[in-house]
Amino acid sequence: MDRAESRDGKDGTQRRPGIGWLLRGLSKPLAGAAAIAGFVLWAHFGSGIQAFRSQVSSAPGWQQFRASYGLDDFGADSYFTRAAQNGYNLFYFTHEFGRRFTRKTARDAVNSCAGCHTAEDLAYGFVNSDRFDAKLGRRMSFEERVMRCYAGPMDGFVPTLYDPAVRDIRILARAVAHHLQLGEGARKDGS
Amino acid sequence: MATLPAKLLKVALIVSIPGGLYLLAVNKHAERDALRQAAVEITPACKAKLQDYALRPGEPYRSPYLRKMTGSWSELRGYSEDDVRAIQRGCNIVDDTQGQLARDGARERWNATRFSRSTHSSCDHCHQGVGDKQDAAGNRPVGSNGLAASWVMADMYDRFTGLLLPYELRQMQCYINSSNGFKPNAADDLLRDVTAYSRFLAAALDLKIGNRYPEQGMDEIAASATLRRGDDYVRGAHVYRQRCATCHGPQGLGTVVQGRVLYPALAGAESFSFDSRMNFARIDTVMPGFICRNMPLGAEGSLDNQQCRDIAIYLSTLPRPAGDKQGPLVAAWQQLMMTVMPPLTRYAESLGSNHTLHAPD
Repeated sequence: MDRAESRDGKDGTQRRPGIGWLLRGLSKPLAGAAAIAGFVLWAHFGSGIQAFRSQVSSAPGWQQFRASYGLDDFGADSYFTRAAQNGYNLFYFTHEFGRRFTRKTARDAVNSCAGCHTAEDLAYGFVNSDRFDAKLGRRMSFEERVMRCYAGPMDGFVPTLYDPAVRDIRILARAVAHHLQLGEGARKDGS
Repeated sequence: MATLPAKLLKVALIVSIPGGLYLLAVNKHAERDALRQAAVEITPACKAKLQDYALRPGEPYRSPYLRKMTGSWSELRGYSEDDVRAIQRGCNIVDDTQGQLARDGARERWNATRFSRSTHSSCDHCHQGVGDKQDAAGNRPVGSNGLAASWVMADMYDRFTGLLLPYELRQMQCYINSSNGFKPNAADDLLRDVTAYSRFLAAALDLKIGNRYPEQGMDEIAASATLRRGDDYVRGAHVYRQRCATCHGPQGLGTVVQGRVLYPALAGAESFSFDSRMNFARIDTVMPGFICRNMPLGAEGSLDNQQCRDIAIYLSTLPRPAGDKQGPLVAAWQQLMMTVMPPLTRYAESLGSNHTLHAPD
């Protein structure tokens, strides 16, 4: 009787498959499941969960900024003050709070949006966005400008349009624009 | 074993399929770019609106509306030719989403019909006055759903979705629910041009970012704003027949003359879906607010709060498309009802046409 017959149990005996055979059979599915689980764990713990949590760290200067720009009033009209706060963190401490989208570190001289812009610049930029940019030869939205800042001056990567790294900067710009009572197309020189 | 020609054929296929798709995408991008550069043929309502607001390329922008209402000028950043075209296209989309007034049909509206199953829906039906309703004196009525006021209050917390709702996302909801359709991409010209138009309106009306204006939204009417007699669809049906059916039809299926929608459907396949905020069964304050503030056209404010709620609950009993949240069984049932009910109702009403309907008080 050959070995194959014995395995099939045609000789009346049944051989139990060994654990090694079982593991060999399952190795590929197990590896696949482990890879998926690994990805899920990485996505959960390692891919910017800080950006999506509802609590926002209070960065230095926040309380003063909040008082100066009346952000509590802004929040009272259905806006989330914490979105504006996250925008503040991203704007002034980009290397820390937007590290997914920048290679800049604490050692760099210019490592945040605030290195080039003031909060008021941001507000004026917002009310003058969605306009034709002669340099690029097309119309540019505020969000696209923020994305380009991450990719260019911040030496990093482009967030999606929906990412809080973009949205919260827009909301911060709205909050400041609200405080300054800016309308569409308002010019900084006031003319 | 595969022969050499077979292998070559495989390689050619593998290269040509993505290559073909790439060329198609390049071609479509070029088409879009050409459309962005092309002169815009604006609808009569948009022509009047944009002329009133003195939209033209050049610096600076001064709003005649502001001059008229306050007696002062405000010098704002002007618009380039590209910006003007985007604003004109946006106005066209709001006024005539389906492209019924366009020479080149839907193409001139960025093929907005791709995102709408309803052949009736147009932004202007809810956002009247091409998104900027005004009375003869130039005042903006409360709850008239102005686009400019919505833009300056965009990004606010939306209690219906639990999101901080950007303006583009809000427009997507209109396509999905009010037009019973599909979601355009956030960066689609279709949304961007409407945003450009809304922003121009905000400049023309001198609205400030983050301020709440009375024309924003629907001025919702809750049950507490009535004498609390309870909402009654029989009363609603009666008022509907008296005040609404002339335009919207006895079954709310709208009025279409020679392929042009004169009055939109409020029920049936061309109407908004169950998921729409306009559906009383989902949110019971929005539709009554809209009716009371904006209907009937030319006689706005002539219905009391209870009548508006009654009409809204009556409309919610009529068959309409299921939304994404209801699932396939409800969708199939609604599809059946939308097919079967109109002829049955017509037949039933023809039987009783000699009788006067009892009007409940």
